[in-house]
Amino acid sequence: MKEDRSISENPLKVNRRHFFSQLSVGIGSLALGSLLIPDLFKGSPQTLESRALGIPHFAPKAKRVIYLFQSGAPSQLESFDYKPTLVNRMGEDLPESIRNGQRLTGMTSDQDKFPLMPSAAKFAQHGKSGAWVSEYFPYIAKIVDEICIVRSMHTEAINHDPAITFFQTGSQQSGRPSMGSWMSYGLGSENQNLPSFVVLTSRGKGNSQGLYSKLWSSGFLDSKHQGVLLRSGKDPVLYLNDPEGISRSDKRHLLDHVSSLNKIHHVETGDDEIESRIAQYEMAYRMQMSVPDVMDIKKEPESIIKLYGEDSQVPGTYAANCLQARRLAENGVRFIQLYHQGWDQHGNLPNEMAGQAKDVDQASAALILDLKQRGMLEDTLVIWGGEFGRTNYCQGNFDPKNYGRDHHPRAFSIWMAGGGIKPGITFGETDEFGYNIVENPVHINDFHATIMNNLGLDHEQLIFKYQGRRFRLTDVAGNVVKDILA
Amino acid sequence: MTKKNSSLWIDYVIFGLTVFLVFCLVFESFIDPPSLVAWLGRWHPLILHFPIVLLLMAAAIGLFNQIVPKLLLTIATLSALVTAITGFFLGTESVPKGDLLFWHQWMGAGVAILAVLWYWVSTNHLQQTYLVKGIQLVLITLIGFTGHYGGMITHGEDFLALPKIKKLEKIPENPLIYQHVVHRVLDNNCIGCHNPNKTKGGLLMTSIGELVKGGESGPALVIGDPDNSELVRRLHLPMKDEEHMPPDGKKPLSVNEIQILERWIALGASDTLKLSHLDNSEPLAGMVIKMMDTGAKNSWSKLPKVADSTLQNLASDYITIKRIASNSPALSISVYLPPEYDPKNITDLKRVANNIVELDLSGIPIGEKEMDLVAMCKNLEWLEIDKTPVTDTEIKKLIGITGLRVLKAYETDISDESVAVLKDFKGLKSLYVWETQISDMGLLELKEAIPNLHIDSGIDPELKIEFIAKDTIVNSIQ
Repeated sequence: MKEDRSISENPLKVNRRHFFSQLSVGIGSLALGSLLIPDLFKGSPQTLESRALGIPHFAPKAKRVIYLFQSGAPSQLESFDYKPTLVNRMGEDLPESIRNGQRLTGMTSDQDKFPLMPSAAKFAQHGKSGAWVSEYFPYIAKIVDEICIVRSMHTEAINHDPAITFFQTGSQQSGRPSMGSWMSYGLGSENQNLPSFVVLTSRGKGNSQGLYSKLWSSGFLDSKHQGVLLRSGKDPVLYLNDPEGISRSDKRHLLDHVSSLNKIHHVETGDDEIESRIAQYEMAYRMQMSVPDVMDIKKEPESIIKLYGEDSQVPGTYAANCLQARRLAENGVRFIQLYHQGWDQHGNLPNEMAGQAKDVDQASAALILDLKQRGMLEDTLVIWGGEFGRTNYCQGNFDPKNYGRDHHPRAFSIWMAGGGIKPGITFGETDEFGYNIVENPVHINDFHATIMNNLGLDHEQLIFKYQGRRFRLTDVAGNVVKDILA
Repeated sequence: MTKKNSSLWIDYVIFGLTVFLVFCLVFESFIDPPSLVAWLGRWHPLILHFPIVLLLMAAAIGLFNQIVPKLLLTIATLSALVTAITGFFLGTESVPKGDLLFWHQWMGAGVAILAVLWYWVSTNHLQQTYLVKGIQLVLITLIGFTGHYGGMITHGEDFLALPKIKKLEKIPENPLIYQHVVHRVLDNNCIGCHNPNKTKGGLLMTSIGELVKGGESGPALVIGDPDNSELVRRLHLPMKDEEHMPPDGKKPLSVNEIQILERWIALGASDTLKLSHLDNSEPLAGMVIKMMDTGAKNSWSKLPKVADSTLQNLASDYITIKRIASNSPALSISVYLPPEYDPKNITDLKRVANNIVELDLSGIPIGEKEMDLVAMCKNLEWLEIDKTPVTDTEIKKLIGITGLRVLKAYETDISDESVAVLKDFKGLKSLYVWETQISDMGLLELKEAIPNLHIDSGIDPELKIEFIAKDTIVNSIQ
């Protein structure tokens, strides 16, 4: 268990193609040798196959990620992307030159008109950086100098499932490993007593979209990299605790015996998943001790509870999950994925969004402050955002007090903090309609590449070969967004 | 008959080439070779390996009193001549010639002519005379020197020098911006091709004066005006551009290095400016500090090697040992509280103490023994001892860990007594000391002692009150 199973393939299992590729590299580099490559003695970059896993490629800025996913897609126009033009041109039809052929969802594609709708929330500039934040997020507004707002995210997907799958796995189609699994695969575990990828969910009162375990699946990676969903309440991990009457030493005997049987089976079949299974039984055994300890927020002082808001005392709320996320980060969990459902405001947006914002605003900001005072913002990357944006035109009845917005993939806002991201900046810009990006676009692939970069991973080098094809989180695209790096 | 003819023919070729070489050398200043001929010169680095091997071999055979095969000597001589001639053409490309090239050229020509002499002597059946022995000895020496000078031209004068202390040298605490930062960047990246011996484009980069004077493309540096400085323009060209510097195949400058050069030029390209003269708001200060930090990262490569097996032996379910990056000897260690705590697991880490640069002991009930281990980690940069029972006594053990950058000691009982110790950590960047016994006076004292230190004494009280007070949000549906 102790050993770092860094591609522990049988060294003799070298296939023909591998053999030839190694051979050609060997001969080629010898031939080119001293004459043509003056840097020969500086050592060549490692070949892919020889890179050890579980270790960053280069010294990292961040060691872990807390991803505050706002499921359903919060509107950028009522949060961080201030567009006064929409006030002046309220009710006017979205010009075709701006829409420029953008496909629409079935929910608004049959609308006769696309009347522009301004934000019901008032905006103001905050902090030394003067970032625009809406009145729905008064607490985040107080910490804008700690965060980097990216207003130029874009995606290809226009529906929730492909969009959220894209964000989580780098592909719109399901089946690829989640980004948390990739990080666990690339960086290994920081604490052997907890999973390296943990998921916490909460739900607001707004219109919700489904969440499903495929979003934190390890796909074709070893199943030990799968996200572990921690539930609120007495049993954070189902079936983790022993049945009544089983002592811990009985459990130990049981595990030892099962493990010896499994090892025999492994020798017979050579199936690596058996080793994973053995490791997971052991992990679960240790988690029986570690999980209750981490999940017990009663140890937190009152001032911290209050910082995150009173909700943080109620298990299963977003605020409680944020506090939990900090505790998990302190205990060496690599990737802590939160989901807060309820951001899908096709109608009744002002009311619902204010409610959703109230759920997450204070706790998100408190998390930043709390991490900062613990010096954890220096090596923890926090991300806040949804799967796409929302249209600048009104969906349904045109009522400035009660309107809706449809899905919009071309431009939306997220924010990031800590972990090597430049604080106190707003990056990227959309046009005056808030519809298209005019400056510094950031695609999801770029977003992934940047996160990996800060974790010390080269997104072009973390590769898993499966069914004859090499896979990356960023697949064949992605550029690190250097301008937002600290 | 035919044999005789062919050897005569070869004699003529050798004679012709020799005459041509001598002619070239004598009338060097009048020769402006056409481009095709100059291109032939580019083959010099390839061909030159033949005469080195063949002549050395022939000379060695001769010195061991063996008969030198005629064919070997013929080929060796021919290749020496061709090498010298191509070398001459290659040399015409770089004007003016530096000292290195001057000596390389004349010694190279000397090798060729000596070889011809030997060839001539041996065709006249004078194999075993002292004259031949003398020629052979001189040839061996001359080849050695010629090769060495040639190597210095292509690889740089210090290519064979012992590993340099200069580049590893740390930037001093308060560096002179030109001497310790700008010149260092130029020295590492540019001066290899822009020095008195190898002056590409006629540009010397060894001093500010030379930069202002410039080369064939005009002044490289316009004081106060980075946008019109040729140096900066070329650094910013796309990598594929012919004129981009450093040229294709050489490591480009980092963004930070380019920014430093630009800002330094904009500020007047002074050679007396020091880091301490710069305001904190001046961007150059930040860039230079960043560069000094990266310098520190490079120093990790000097740490002793440590085997994976050692790490596996020391690691456990509750002690995670990671390399900072793959192949790096620098270690990051996190300790978690096991059900039964035993200090020995931590004190065992002394085997790798010199490799530890990050150590997380937060929340562990550590005492003096464990702190003795910490004290052994001389290369420590990041230490977390928050939420531990450490006191001032334990903090005193940290004296001597000069490289400490981050120290987390919040929620401990340390007091103003520790301030006296902490004051000496001049490299400290972040210090987390809320919920300790350290007084405001103590913090102030620290702040004065280490101006660049960020002291975190908890969340800003005013901000905290706003969070803890009643929620302010309106319009919510409930």
